[in-house]
Amino acid sequence: MADFLISRLLYAAAVLLGVSVAVFFLIRIGGDPSALFLPPEAPVEEIERFRRLMGFDRPLAVQYFDFLGRALQGDFGMSLRYDQPAMKLVLERVPATLQLGATALLMSLVISIPLAILAAAKRGSAIDRASLLASLLGQSFPAFWLAIMLILLFSETFRLLPPSGRGTWQQLIMPAIVLATYSTAIITRLLRSSMIEVLQSDYVRTARGKGVKESRIILSHALRNAAIPTLTVIGLQVGALLGGAVITEEVFAYPGVGRLAIQAIANRDFTVVQAFVVLMAALIVTINLLVDLSYGLLDPRLRKGK
Amino acid sequence: MTFSFKRSLMAAAVGVSAVTLIAGSGLAQDNSTVVVAQAVDAYTMDPAKHSNFPTANILFQIYDGLIAEGENGELVPALAESWSNPDELTWRFKLREGVTFHNGEPFNAEAVKLSFERALDPEFKAPYFSRISHIKAVEVVDEYTVDFKTEEPFPTMLLSLYEASFPALIVPPAYAKENDGASIAAHPVGTGPYKFVEWLKDERVVLEANPDYWGGKPAIDRVVFRPIAETRTRIAELTSGGADIIVDVPPEDIAALDGGDTKVSTIASDSLYFLAFDTTRDTPLKDKRVRQAINYAVDVDAIQAALLNGMGTRIALTLPTNAFAYDQAWKPYPYDPEKAKQLLAEAGYPEGFEIPFMSRKGRYMKDSEIVEATAGFLARVGIKANIQYLEPGVWAQVSERKGREGITFPGWAGRDPQLVWAPLLITGQYQSYFSNPELDELLKAGASIIDPEERKANYAKAAEIIKEEAPHLPMIQPPLIYAIDAKLNWTPRSDGIIDLRKAHF
Repeated sequence: MADFLISRLLYAAAVLLGVSVAVFFLIRIGGDPSALFLPPEAPVEEIERFRRLMGFDRPLAVQYFDFLGRALQGDFGMSLRYDQPAMKLVLERVPATLQLGATALLMSLVISIPLAILAAAKRGSAIDRASLLASLLGQSFPAFWLAIMLILLFSETFRLLPPSGRGTWQQLIMPAIVLATYSTAIITRLLRSSMIEVLQSDYVRTARGKGVKESRIILSHALRNAAIPTLTVIGLQVGALLGGAVITEEVFAYPGVGRLAIQAIANRDFTVVQAFVVLMAALIVTINLLVDLSYGLLDPRLRKGK
Repeated sequence: MTFSFKRSLMAAAVGVSAVTLIAGSGLAQDNSTVVVAQAVDAYTMDPAKHSNFPTANILFQIYDGLIAEGENGELVPALAESWSNPDELTWRFKLREGVTFHNGEPFNAEAVKLSFERALDPEFKAPYFSRISHIKAVEVVDEYTVDFKTEEPFPTMLLSLYEASFPALIVPPAYAKENDGASIAAHPVGTGPYKFVEWLKDERVVLEANPDYWGGKPAIDRVVFRPIAETRTRIAELTSGGADIIVDVPPEDIAALDGGDTKVSTIASDSLYFLAFDTTRDTPLKDKRVRQAINYAVDVDAIQAALLNGMGTRIALTLPTNAFAYDQAWKPYPYDPEKAKQLLAEAGYPEGFEIPFMSRKGRYMKDSEIVEATAGFLARVGIKANIQYLEPGVWAQVSERKGREGITFPGWAGRDPQLVWAPLLITGQYQSYFSNPELDELLKAGASIIDPEERKANYAKAAEIIKEEAPHLPMIQPPLIYAIDAKLNWTPRSDGIIDLRKAHF
């Protein structure tokens, strides 16, 4: 177990280092922010003066090791646009994103797990076919389109919900629905097919033969075994909900990290993009680690095997 | 099975009605508050530390400049009551007496001097440094008189001192130094009509009326700025009562929003839509006749009618019609494709030619639509324009190495030939792709003539050369389109700055 943890932690460090290299150099390919930051008529000498002042004229490798050295001490530099520490700007917006992501995840689990169980148990029934259709639609709706449609319907036509912002629970409903749609669909589909597979296995047949109650077979035998692949996907979805809420946050003017990141990319606000990407990478690496560890809890064989 | 299905249906019905009950109360309208929805949030509350119009819109409610824009676009006194030129290198301002900042600091000549010295310090890294960098010194003459010194005569000084020149807003000197500037960047203090209340990042900035404002207490008690990037969402906020002023309304939404509880308010902006031709590389565009042919070939009026609902103002030369020295008698090249073909043939291109056409997409309202329509008109006279859209950062990178090839749609703004023609047309300027020694001389002279009449005559001569040489295809001053609460009384401004000083329900 200790070996496993150490190897996973080393792996996590390597991933973060790789991510830091990638984000550092990729964001700089499209040029530095000097010209975007100065007024359009600023002469080229002025752009160069500003570039020197900000240190963007130094060789990229020098800038990278400067960034890495500081980042290891928790200093991600100052945002050019906001003139504030980059990591502080990102962290300030994390609670909003967490709140939205958690609501969406809860929503999708509450819907998808019962739906998948029901669909698997009544395979071929109307509810099963309806769940398949719903998952197909849920996975294919573009978030952007769905968001606009919800706004048109619930804000403009029925005037039930405020179209944007944060602060009240009403403002959380539509973005959470949009964000939950894809996860709900994918979790339902996956859990349903895993359950069906397990329900056809020998030990389930044996249990049935022994006269175990069907509800107990489904909830105890089948669900527990079908949970492992599903958990992996849920773990991935948590990452997607936190880092991938960009479009949803943008459309609903929700003050989360995704919106900050989009603007920072457009503005070439390097330090903010770096802080955001590194934080998200760290978060996803952590979630994956937790998912790996939880397999052991669900399946004793994995605990002993390694 | 059927039973549990019924139960969940009922649960859903109860849930929906609960939402209905609670949501209904949240949308009440409030006549003492104006909510403005623009695309992005403020970046900072320090007026000299940003380069962003939405930020400027918020800060202009909190701070004042020495000068302000009046109702008809003229520059009028604000914190300065009057000004004069004791000599060609001095602008002298007589300041308003008895004004205090929101924190009680007095406004005086010292505050003006320190405000500018702060922003002019290279270490301060003001992004709009170049707008005020002609000011070499600010000298206190007495408590309420201040001299701005320049090395060269600087006729456009007033445009450098009003609110669209961001670092020209006056800050309280003692407070601005507090915590190394961090205090004012988070919690602004100015002399303006509104005092700062709170700033929830990416959510809202809340301001309240300053009862002691030197210009009189504003009629609206509370002002809220909300950042909403998505146009449809801004429109939904307006129509559902969550916003009172929304910016950047697409022309196709005007009909739906101009009536009932909302109305549309538009004005021709100071911005310029035009095509620029690269005459520095060896292409057909080097030939004056080709550039004139393009001017004849594109039906700008049709583009304006079809894509901008006829809004905005047609320009004859690359200069806003409300700019200094713009002559209403100037006429653009008429639409005449036959004449265009004839000029192309004379220039040696009877079959036309291929040329790159560079633009950004989504940078300006309807930019890509206009670029594509223009390419269509060019195709009719045999010019095959190969459109390339560049991401703004890449565009800046290309521009910096002078790589704008062929035809470009750059966009510009500025209310004086010195701010438009000088950077775009003087030989060797960073954004100039044109060279004409005679024009260079006139434009350089215009930069330092203080006498307005003499200056106008100088630019009239420059205009003749520009018309004949056709380094650009001047198109349109595009409109600024706002949709607002039908009960609200507020007038937009051509420079795009939102001023709520006179707004009322």
